[in-house]
Amino acid sequence: MKNRQVTIILVAMFFMLVLGFSVQAVAGETYKMGLSLAITGPTSDAGSPYSKGAEDYVKYVNDEKLLGDDELVCFIKDDGYKTEVTKRNFEEFLDEGIVFYLNYSTGSTMALKPDFEEEKIPVIPASFHAGNLIDSDYIFLPIASYSSQAVGLAEYIVANHKGSGKAKVAMFIHPSAFGRASKDDVEKAISIGLAIDLVEIVEHGKDLDNTAMLKRLKSKGVQYVISHTVQPPVATMLKGAQSLGMIASTYGEAGKITFMGAHYAGGPDLIRLAGSAAENYYWTTSYKLMTAKGPGTDAQFALAKRYGRDEKLAISPNYTNGIMVVQVAVEAMRRAKAKGKKITRESLYEEMVGMNGYNAYYPLTTVGPVTFSKTDREGVDTLQLYMSKDGVFHELGAPFVSEYVQKIKQ
Amino acid sequence: MSENRWLATGNFFTSYRAEQRIFLTHADRLVFICFLVLLFAWPLAFKVGNKYMLVIDSILVAIVAVYGLNLLTGFAGLISIGHAAFVGVGAYTLATFARLLGGNHVLLTHCWPLMILLAGGVGALFGAVVGLPALRLKHLYLVIATLSFQMIFQWFINFSKFYDQGQTIAIGRVFWFTGKVVRKQHYFFWYYVILVFVVVLGFAFRNLLRTRYGRSLVAVRDNDRAADAMGMHPGLTKVYAFALAGFFAGVAGALHAYLWRGVGFESFLLHHSISYLAMSIVGGLGTLVGSFLGPAAILMLELQVENLAEFVRHYFTAVGDVATALRPLSFGLVIVLFLMFEPRGMANWWRIIRSYFKLWPFRY
Repeated sequence: MKNRQVTIILVAMFFMLVLGFSVQAVAGETYKMGLSLAITGPTSDAGSPYSKGAEDYVKYVNDEKLLGDDELVCFIKDDGYKTEVTKRNFEEFLDEGIVFYLNYSTGSTMALKPDFEEEKIPVIPASFHAGNLIDSDYIFLPIASYSSQAVGLAEYIVANHKGSGKAKVAMFIHPSAFGRASKDDVEKAISIGLAIDLVEIVEHGKDLDNTAMLKRLKSKGVQYVISHTVQPPVATMLKGAQSLGMIASTYGEAGKITFMGAHYAGGPDLIRLAGSAAENYYWTTSYKLMTAKGPGTDAQFALAKRYGRDEKLAISPNYTNGIMVVQVAVEAMRRAKAKGKKITRESLYEEMVGMNGYNAYYPLTTVGPVTFSKTDREGVDTLQLYMSKDGVFHELGAPFVSEYVQKIKQ
Repeated sequence: MSENRWLATGNFFTSYRAEQRIFLTHADRLVFICFLVLLFAWPLAFKVGNKYMLVIDSILVAIVAVYGLNLLTGFAGLISIGHAAFVGVGAYTLATFARLLGGNHVLLTHCWPLMILLAGGVGALFGAVVGLPALRLKHLYLVIATLSFQMIFQWFINFSKFYDQGQTIAIGRVFWFTGKVVRKQHYFFWYYVILVFVVVLGFAFRNLLRTRYGRSLVAVRDNDRAADAMGMHPGLTKVYAFALAGFFAGVAGALHAYLWRGVGFESFLLHHSISYLAMSIVGGLGTLVGSFLGPAAILMLELQVENLAEFVRHYFTAVGDVATALRPLSFGLVIVLFLMFEPRGMANWWRIIRSYFKLWPFRY
């Protein structure tokens, strides 16, 4: 009797053991990725919604089992826009065994470039600096570079300039590697024939009043200002220009200034900060705007609602940005899985560079497809111009590609 | 001094030479040797992730930098809030070579010990030049002069095309007798290199204070007119103090550049100068032990505050932005609390612990 009991217990234990292992096998694998960004400190107005976009989409992937039984883990850490902290975060993520990395600032992306190359890990930064791609194989820009954005705006100025002679343009940029990223390419475009007169490049500080700068630009005959920075300094400038009566009420209005901006220098957050001073502001990005209805924007609203985000966050292009970079990483994972590959840095890199032609990826959050190859690691090539009217950004024309940036690349 | 060199319980010095000993007892020496062995051996016994090795290495680099500031502010009584700029001078010495010859040039990758010393030399040169106002200025006025150097340094790098407007300038991987120090060995290798510098420069620091040159720093700090009357040159001593501080800072800068594999402008800002000063105050101005304890305390505090901020953001999303203020708040609070309640810094805690063991089993 006793022996029988022991036998039953042993058999039961054996089955439990087998069951335990099989449950583990069915539970699937865990893929880890890391995101280090400025949730606090400088540029956190962009970083905070970006992190929430990434966080929500990772939750969505797991909740909706977009990777089957496998689980996606994304470590999100604040670096306060400090390269040293970013590097420490990156080392921590590597210790955790990440297969994909999402970075943030231009400075840290440039600084960590040698590490990315040595680790052979695919990286998508929030920085769209074209220089990130130089001497690098593993950095992928999600959308058109800052250079494409700034030169694209300059091309729009040339095509639609009201007045005689070359359009007089000034650039208003962030005093960092991020801000300076586009100015060299604008100058290159001018040197090969882009017909604008770049009068001044202003690296803004933390001024709360831009009267002197605006009057100086006015006295130099500047008719257009292209901003490449974050929203708060642009809002300060616009408010100053409004109080001085300098904002053009129609595009290129004589004697006034038409203000324009690249991705991080515009969007609904700018309208919230600048109020009526943001009227007639021209802005370009490769992301679809939440005010333009469509399947992508509906999905984004639904995602924000699902995870209890407020409307302010839901319409932020930086929320879209955070979603989109995780979308691309997940798409690479899905494709690798579909081919029966093990999810590694190498297999994800192969899927990333194969994302072109018929294999281009349409994430619905952008105005064009995401295409990467070994020689072109700039994701969405097209840009959409938006204009602020009655407190909302509206699409202006069809998506476009900067011609001069293509020429510069050659 | 007691006859028993192992268990001296009081200060019975019979000669000036005896008082100047680095180790007062054999027990002190033995404990120090054991501690050194421990410092060199622990990475072989425990596996530590790269993140924490990076933190530990950074603490060691900060110790070298704080040696210099402690000499300048603690011993010579000259307050500097431009120390990060001196560290930056050392780092940018390497960056200059990297820009001119390439980050992987043999000078940078093979002759790195020489480059570190050269960076120290350039730091000393800049220190001496910046110290020149000390011939005329004192107290707050001198502080402003060092602040000016910090500002000039920041402005120059930020607008210099040669230095890529402060963007990170890459430094290649170094070579050792076993070949190239690859990524896996990087933090481990630099731990030992920086530790050797900490130990050697620590001895240099301690020995300097036993010489007339070291004592002249203290004499000029306490009363420069009296020091002058005793035959010392107060002006030259002050300039020499700045040069010394510049040397230590320059070496720290070069070590920083090699450790982080690049030189970026944002590691040498005014905020870092204040941090170095805080490390000196918290550790204990005018003490060698303070140079070890201060950097460790401040950098560990930074890491813990980061973790706390992460925790706050994660569990109290509504007050997530408060996290932004936690770091400067805790940093300022620690300095104020130390200045109010323990102006002699953590080095005093060390002194109390030592006294306890020295007198044991008696209470006094």
